Amino acid sequence: MKTIIEPFRIKMVEPIKLTTREQRERLIEEAHFNPFLLAAEDVIIDLLTDSGTSAMSSEAWAAIMRGDESYAGARSWYRFRDAVKDIFGFEQVIPTHQGRAAEHILFGVLVQPGQIVPNNTHFDTTRANVEYNGGVALDLPCAESRNTESDFPFKGNMDIEALETVVAENGPEKIPLIMVTVTNNSGGGQPVSMANIREISRIARSAGIPFYIDACRFAENAHFIKRYEPEFENRATIDIARELFSYADGCTMSAKKDAFANIGGFLCTNDAELAHRERNILILTEGFPTYGGLAGRDLDAIAVGLREILDEDYLGYRLDSTRYVVNHLVEAGIPVVTPAGGHAIYIDAGRFLPHIEALHYPGQALAVELYIEGGIRGVEIGSVMFGLDPHTGVERPARIELLRLAVPRRVYTQSHMDYLLEAISLVWERRNDVRGMRIVEAPPFLRHFTAKFERRS
Amino acid sequence: MTARNWAEPYKIKMVELIKMTSREDRLKAIREAGYNTFLLHSEDVYIDLLTDSGTGAMSDRQWAGIMMGDEAYAGSRNFYRLRDTVEEYYSYRFTVPCHQGRGAENILSQILISPGDYVPGNMYFTTTRLHQELAGASFVDVIIDEAHDAESEHPFKGNVDFDKLDALLDEVGGGKIPYVCIATCVNMAGGQPISLGNLKQLRAWCDKNDIMLVHDMTRVAENAHFIQQREEGYQDKTVREIVYEICALTDAATMSAKKDAMVNIGGFLAMNDAKFYEKACGLVVVYEGLHTYGGMAGRDMEALAIGITESVQDEHIHARVGQVQYLGRRLREAGVPIVNPIGGHAVFLNATKMLPDIPQDHFPAQALSAALYVESGIRSMERGIVSAGRDKATGENYRPRLELVRLTIPRRVYTQAHMDVTVGAVEEVMARRSEIKGLRFTYEPEVLRFFQARFEQIEQ
Repeated sequence: MKTIIEPFRIKMVEPIKLTTREQRERLIEEAHFNPFLLAAEDVIIDLLTDSGTSAMSSEAWAAIMRGDESYAGARSWYRFRDAVKDIFGFEQVIPTHQGRAAEHILFGVLVQPGQIVPNNTHFDTTRANVEYNGGVALDLPCAESRNTESDFPFKGNMDIEALETVVAENGPEKIPLIMVTVTNNSGGGQPVSMANIREISRIARSAGIPFYIDACRFAENAHFIKRYEPEFENRATIDIARELFSYADGCTMSAKKDAFANIGGFLCTNDAELAHRERNILILTEGFPTYGGLAGRDLDAIAVGLREILDEDYLGYRLDSTRYVVNHLVEAGIPVVTPAGGHAIYIDAGRFLPHIEALHYPGQALAVELYIEGGIRGVEIGSVMFGLDPHTGVERPARIELLRLAVPRRVYTQSHMDYLLEAISLVWERRNDVRGMRIVEAPPFLRHFTAKFERRS
Repeated sequence: MTARNWAEPYKIKMVELIKMTSREDRLKAIREAGYNTFLLHSEDVYIDLLTDSGTGAMSDRQWAGIMMGDEAYAGSRNFYRLRDTVEEYYSYRFTVPCHQGRGAENILSQILISPGDYVPGNMYFTTTRLHQELAGASFVDVIIDEAHDAESEHPFKGNVDFDKLDALLDEVGGGKIPYVCIATCVNMAGGQPISLGNLKQLRAWCDKNDIMLVHDMTRVAENAHFIQQREEGYQDKTVREIVYEICALTDAATMSAKKDAMVNIGGFLAMNDAKFYEKACGLVVVYEGLHTYGGMAGRDMEALAIGITESVQDEHIHARVGQVQYLGRRLREAGVPIVNPIGGHAVFLNATKMLPDIPQDHFPAQALSAALYVESGIRSMERGIVSAGRDKATGENYRPRLELVRLTIPRRVYTQAHMDVTVGAVEEVMARRSEIKGLRFTYEPEVLRFFQARFEQIEQ
């Protein structure tokens, strides 16, 4: 059978409001050509992010009703903690209201000004949190990741030679931690191999540097390992995940991704003394250590989501559905990052709109056109998101200019994806008429969220 | 007993079962929790009066709102509804959602405070003061003296003493005072209100000296109820009207929506100034989330918007405060020393009077709170020397005049029978108070120590 079938049926729906092209032309202009500033109800298919936008199961909704909202020591907290420990295996679990708060606490405790944090590729809030603490966020993606067309299965890998050089030159005094993002979001949602994780762990341990995993999409990454790393072909994905975390000293997690939750996150470590310092910050900015800024019901929903996310049938469906869209784009000759990642389709905007230079933001221009064409909302991952150095104020082109179309989990059907493909091909046909953009106004940190743009003439 | 003049304006639609425990179970549990009620497991608690924060019962309409969440990352319709509701009920033009109140305090403090500043306020609150201090400011208490006297019957113990405020201004100058922080229904004073007369005078003072007025509005509806009951000229106004009038006198507000608005999670920072709003949007995305969700799920913003409309209904507040008054009056009649007048969200036991033989350094309120748990399974919270913490400069304990145990009543959760059991339990503890022993730290955290501290009993 070639048809991809969802291992679930629909139990609750949310109506979508349709808009006309004329309305959307007006709406995107009112939103200063930044899809982040659109009202969600003016979007037909929302592929802005897969974060917090997934459909929970009936079991998770039942858990929502079971939430114990006691301020301290709630039952929900113990269920959450046990679910996290079962998969991630770390001794200390610290709940946070979402992933960026976990990052904020971790880097606040570990990173001193001038220190370097190597990562395969930092994501936007991760980079911002490192830089906000005065650190240098250093991206060390493997060489294969630069070629968007190559079929190398683990383009999320870290460049091991480069890491060894950086560690040898700087040592543990200047490198407070090494981090790896699974899957590598900024680099096309590409997985990291277990072999790569083992190498990083070896380097980190022999240098005495803590090794952390940014675990947002750990289940998708683990399933890619099962598919493409021969050693793991017959292993259960949950065991692969457990092995993956066994090489690390801790992790940050946004439960809004691979736990199907609408809100929530956590921070883990094996270092009790460090956890103690982290909890002191937690109490100040997040909440008491047994709820960390989350309602009890959300702790419970995450506990259920973590169990569901490692289901083999779900993960098979998830990866195949993303590949379905990517394969159709490749067939149509539309430039897209291959092989297909787990959670998103990354259109190579640099090659889609070669007449627009990087600092005229081809990814942003493409995002605007796709919204006008089909009411579809995506996000630029390129020079708008990563081009500005907040310390120097200097702007440089990003490594690649992408438009990310992130697919919320269990939300959209194959007909939504077919509609998406049609909209992309209509923009493709008129690509030569698309113009570049200019930033009119933007804050210094995380500018892509609120920047205002205009079209170049 | 006074005549029955209120009843709950709701019926029960969903219940949560509670577990009964034996005295032996509880003795073991409190020892394992280091005599700190924060460290108890909730399933070992019979009646949980630790806090009214996030522990209220939502209405069926709020639960329906939970199902109406628009979880879009940007521009969720729940955000627009929340923003419009805040403006309609609280007057503030701009709303920045935050995952809870302390998230809003963090952003407010970082934007408005420069190192070396002074922030006057009507008594400290634990997390508020710490955020002010971390941003480089010193908190200065300008509440009237009566607030520190548990016996005083002053109807508005939350009022500001303008002599204290003027003295600070003379000493440091207006340039060192970024804003005055005013709490409605002052928690640490025993849930005591500020009068509108006093607030209007404060507004004029701020205008004259060109200083911003920031409102810690966590329990504004309860404060409005007391104004309606006690202040000349407000008897015929609705709580909703009074709430609006309070808010309209201030420039910005931090809100922990887990109290008045009866949600389990959420809060916001609100203001009228567009430049301040822009700065807050730039910072909220670093700590909380994009400015249209600020770390809240869409469903929680919806429940909050609905909760705001319910929180200002006269009959709701009447029953809410009525239940607290009922508990307080019955305790008073039983001869239990409590803070007067009885506040809006909690009854505060006067531990100094109940346990006169335990010196403040042996934490009488902490000991009383632990003893009440062992006696009855009721969980309360210390609000005395342990909560007050240490002076950051000298390292000495702050010595609050009020050494209290707070019995905090969650909104719409417990019945009159639960209140009666609570009265009986406190009476029992009163009868056996000579057996209660003082405590000493076995672990003292450096910040907000009351949350995670551990203690042991001091043997006589």
